[in-house]
Amino acid sequence: MDARRGCRQLWVSSRLRGFCHLSQAWLWELPLGMLGERLHEELALQWDQLLFDDAPTGGALAWLPTGGIGASRGCLLHPAGPAMDQLCFQDVVLAPGEDGALRPCAQGSPAQFKLSGRVRQVSATQVDGAAFVGVRSDYHCGAWRLQPGAVPTPLQVVRTTSPASCLTVSPHLPGELSLCTHSGAVYLWSVETGLQRLCQEPETMFFRDASPWRWSEFTAHPRVLSYADRTGVQCLDVRAPTQARRDLFKVGAEAGCQRGERVVLPLYLGQAHPAQHLIATQFSVYVVDERFPLVPALRWEHMMTVPPIFAHMMPGSPRGRSHKVLLGAQRTQELMLLQCTGGSTSACQLVGAPRRLHTIADGLQYLPAMTPHQLDWLHQRLGMPAAGVTATLGRCGPLESMLVFQLSEAGDLFYQTLLHSQPADSSPERGHADEPSTSPSLQTPAQAVQHLPGPGTSCGSGTEGEEEDRMETYLSGLEVLVNEDSEDEDSGSAGQPTDPGAQGQGRTSPNQTPAPSPAIAAQYRRWLATLSHAWKHLAEPAKPRVPLTLSQRRLFTRRELGQVPGDRVLHQQARRQLRRAMRERGLVVGCALGSEPSPLPLPCPVEPQAWPDDLSERLTASWVGGWSNWWEEQQGRSQARQARVRALREQRRRRKRARGLCSLSGSFSSSLTCQSDLSDFSDVSAWSVGSRAPTPVPASPQHSLAPSLSGQDAPAEPWPGSPLACSTQLSQEPGGSQDPGTPSQLLSSQMLRLRGVPRERRKTLRDYLSIFTESPVEPPPEVPSSQASRLGGDHRVPLSQSQASSLGGERHVPLSQSQASSLGGERHVPLSQSQASSLGGGQHVPLSQSQASTGSQAKRKRARMGF
Amino acid sequence: MDGFVEQPAPREEWGSLAPSIHLPLLPCLLHHPVTRGPKETEFQKTKEACLNYIQDALLQNQWQRAAEFMISYLEILETSTVSKRKTAPEAIWRIGTEILLHHSKSNIEELNYFTERMKNLGVKYYLKVCLEHIFYLLCNGLIDEAYQNLTLAESWRYGEQTAAQNDELKLIQAYKGLLDYYNWSKKREAMLELDEENFTDSSEQEMHNFFRQAAVNLKEIIKIPGVWDPFVVSYVDLLEFYGDFDEAREVLTEYAYNSKFPPNPNAHAYLYHFLKRRGESKKSLVSVLKILHKTVPSHELMLEFYTMLKKSKKDKKRRLGLEVIFEVLDFAGWKENVKAWSCLAEQIKQILDNSNKHLDWVKEEWNSRKDWWPAFHFSHYLAKRNWQENEKLAYEKALLAGILLGKDCKYYKYVLHQGCKAKKKRFQTLKKFVKKHNSAYLRITACSDSSTHL
Repeated sequence: MDARRGCRQLWVSSRLRGFCHLSQAWLWELPLGMLGERLHEELALQWDQLLFDDAPTGGALAWLPTGGIGASRGCLLHPAGPAMDQLCFQDVVLAPGEDGALRPCAQGSPAQFKLSGRVRQVSATQVDGAAFVGVRSDYHCGAWRLQPGAVPTPLQVVRTTSPASCLTVSPHLPGELSLCTHSGAVYLWSVETGLQRLCQEPETMFFRDASPWRWSEFTAHPRVLSYADRTGVQCLDVRAPTQARRDLFKVGAEAGCQRGERVVLPLYLGQAHPAQHLIATQFSVYVVDERFPLVPALRWEHMMTVPPIFAHMMPGSPRGRSHKVLLGAQRTQELMLLQCTGGSTSACQLVGAPRRLHTIADGLQYLPAMTPHQLDWLHQRLGMPAAGVTATLGRCGPLESMLVFQLSEAGDLFYQTLLHSQPADSSPERGHADEPSTSPSLQTPAQAVQHLPGPGTSCGSGTEGEEEDRMETYLSGLEVLVNEDSEDEDSGSAGQPTDPGAQGQGRTSPNQTPAPSPAIAAQYRRWLATLSHAWKHLAEPAKPRVPLTLSQRRLFTRRELGQVPGDRVLHQQARRQLRRAMRERGLVVGCALGSEPSPLPLPCPVEPQAWPDDLSERLTASWVGGWSNWWEEQQGRSQARQARVRALREQRRRRKRARGLCSLSGSFSSSLTCQSDLSDFSDVSAWSVGSRAPTPVPASPQHSLAPSLSGQDAPAEPWPGSPLACSTQLSQEPGGSQDPGTPSQLLSSQMLRLRGVPRERRKTLRDYLSIFTESPVEPPPEVPSSQASRLGGDHRVPLSQSQASSLGGERHVPLSQSQASSLGGERHVPLSQSQASSLGGGQHVPLSQSQASTGSQAKRKRARMGF
Repeated sequence: MDGFVEQPAPREEWGSLAPSIHLPLLPCLLHHPVTRGPKETEFQKTKEACLNYIQDALLQNQWQRAAEFMISYLEILETSTVSKRKTAPEAIWRIGTEILLHHSKSNIEELNYFTERMKNLGVKYYLKVCLEHIFYLLCNGLIDEAYQNLTLAESWRYGEQTAAQNDELKLIQAYKGLLDYYNWSKKREAMLELDEENFTDSSEQEMHNFFRQAAVNLKEIIKIPGVWDPFVVSYVDLLEFYGDFDEAREVLTEYAYNSKFPPNPNAHAYLYHFLKRRGESKKSLVSVLKILHKTVPSHELMLEFYTMLKKSKKDKKRRLGLEVIFEVLDFAGWKENVKAWSCLAEQIKQILDNSNKHLDWVKEEWNSRKDWWPAFHFSHYLAKRNWQENEKLAYEKALLAGILLGKDCKYYKYVLHQGCKAKKKRFQTLKKFVKKHNSAYLRITACSDSSTHL
């Protein structure tokens, strides 16, 4: 007891205390070493289970079509209830929605059976017109028979002493199942004759592996079972189980396995090809042919983050359509769709690219906006590990749909519909983010298929997903067009499980219909309210717990805690406020806590002159921001230098002021920037080069830039903030009321000098800008051409003229056509026209304006080409 | 030992209580553990995330998106981690090829260019890249280009790397041989179309060159244990054309019976067809099929095997024939094969007509199947379906059901009833036949009963 007192954690955890009470009589008698060993073993076991839990292998969800494969109605088998211990047989009709995709509608309430354990696996097969269902929980396995139009009848239950790991139903003989347990035993279970043990091997087959997991499936021969453990698969003859068995698959070099690869799930693909088996490992999926054992007919690395433990196969049609295989993972809910063909006459091969389907948690983004609390619940709820996957194919008119059902460990059931798209036609699947009605084309899987060798029967089933989920009263199809799901839980949140009218609650994704239909929205709200209510009243142990901590009582005495320091009234008030806020989960606003704290008084300002010493000056300088200046000043020794520095600073200040002004006005310039201007030149010249003889060397320095500017990365390109840029921008704003000065002012050499324009360029610039000093409304006809010839050489003039003419509607000018073709056929004529007119040009477009328009043209073009 | 206790399954009424929402316990309490390696740098993390995006895009068939991410993933080549630097080129090659294969705007030139770059990027799998590229070219019908690439790849030498990729090199050579064979067979077709006189010596010489090149390479790969069906078939075709039958037989025998090779049913079939073409004795044919029967009792050749055995005069072989045909029908794939069923019906009729001399054979075969064949083949449901879908099948099966299971069998009764209703004459004969041989049924059941009692 003394020791116990030393253990601090016991004071807080009642569970630990309870354990202590139970074990204190004998715990101390155990040798510590042994205890530690056992504890370690148990921890390792638990850890392994956390990493990968193989109990739900196979999945607890099954679909039984009534009236043959491809029928539009069927029975969905799934567990429900808080402990997932109720088996439900829910009749479902697949009804076409508005867009032709099938949606499940629940018919009536499900037939339910209460079992004595959590349902781990449901497997079902149709034999001879009736369906046989095997249900596995940890220590019990049961068999049901379901005949069309009748209530499901329970046939038999067996109890095992070690947990069962597998239960599969024979596709050949009615009422036959195979059963494996963790003790390594395989049984053939016939409902009529009982159990027959075929073999029992605690050791694994090909090499040692610790896992007690065993699996068995049926094969093409009704009397031969496949028997799998983590190291491989063998064939076991029921009639002579003790005789040598045939190896079907061995983890190792023959199959091209990786290091550490283990069998995770075998599946008999009897419906697709009588001799084929699918074998999934953590890394790959293999298709193995019984007739040709050990060498897989197909191997594909599935790249799933956790091993797939659910698989479902839908046979393709006999006309060479591919078989669809779904692989599902538990923890991450990943869902992968593969298509494969071949087996008998042609080689087995994958068709098209594998495709990932939506997980349950993907639906969260389509739910309406919620408070963070609700979002958190929903996130946890929807992010639960998956518990089963199944699917069915249906057809409605020309549209083929594939319905994929997913079950989560919380018992929520979701579906998504994939639409088949014909390889030839361009109407493709709709991506999940697209509106279903318009069905914009994403990629068709068919495109993917074309590159594949072999039978190009691409049946890519295009997919799209809309998922919705249903609740236990399944929800039906409802008007949820949307893409994703809503979820419901199974125990009807809305609480009418007995209501036969299915309540669907789905909800629509924001991008489809902005507002879900009122009925659905109401359903959803009701469900959400129930969920949140239930969450709040969640049993204590289920709530997220804070890690065990020391009680504060041990840190403070009661008296210390009782003392309230400071202002009693104010503090009590504040405490009340805080408590209320916590109760309501609201916000505490600062002012709610009583008087607002008075703002801190500003310290009295420091007078810099009062502190003449070096340090203070330096501090003052750095506070003001001119520390480097101050430093230079300190460095400068002679008086003359200081004077010069002062002059320079003055000059700089003036220039700064000027620049500030022009950058201000620059912000008013339109989308034309200096950069685009100059690069336009490059484009213009490139056009002319492309359309006619080599250009003569341009005369002016500005134009000498142009040909060298190939796109954005030309080294000689002026930076946008440079004075040159400013001036050109200004010049292009004839009507800008914010201009600091008139154009003639701008052209004064003083002004230019102030802006840092080098002397040799001033003349060019002045010439250039002088265009704008003329009134743009009535330009003398000869000015543009003369300017142009001076500016750009002869080659440029016809170009701009032809452009102008093309703007004016004369399409037959050959030059403009060639330009159009060099642009890839995009003529932005309307845009440049409007620009031209807005710039004040009539039919006689001045040169600069036509340049502007070409500028916009070129700019657009570049933007397009950026793809 | 597991103890099993049978219990009736409990059943409760549903909808008794208004169920409340049950809530998951898992997510809050258990955070799934993640195994950790050495700490990653920011660069690695970024690239890892990028790779995840690429994977995501690939799996959703968003090739354009994948291509955009791929551009930035290329930087992984500059990683400082040794292990990554080794694997990165391969990842880029694989992802890039995948994207180019599927992207709607990609074309053959781009893929060729990409492949060339990839070959230089990673010499460690140079030949693999070549092979993949060659398959792509072949799938697009560019046989000549593929051949050029094969020739180039074959002569590739890069120090130790060549030795390390010996297996791939063998494959390259083998595929080159296969293309040589392809060219050869085209020439052969041309030759067969033309008359002998018009076929010049130079063409013949050319053809012979192809033959030599193909034979050398194909022979090489066949020696290695493995599954080489196309190569073996081509090689045997070449040998047969030039009359080297001994070599062909040796190759096929080796391929079928060498225990180092994986058990390949096709190998037996090739050998059988070869021997049949050569007009070999029935004995050798039977022995080949006998071995095939042991490994794959459900093989398509089993019907042929049965026909051969049936004609034999030896009782032992005819006994084996019955076994073969029974065994074929054990398999789900043969369940509705009319030919197999009529073979079995014919055989049993023959036995019955033959004064029941070999009725004990039937008894023996039936004995091991009597507990599951009725449910597997002769259920009432199947009778209805077979009658609807295939009347001939229903007839043959009804005959067998009548003999093996007696005239009270549901299958027999249903089909007979339907047949008589439709006024089909042969069902009347069927009825008479079964009635006549009712004693045989009694003997079969009696024997099997006694044997079970034993």
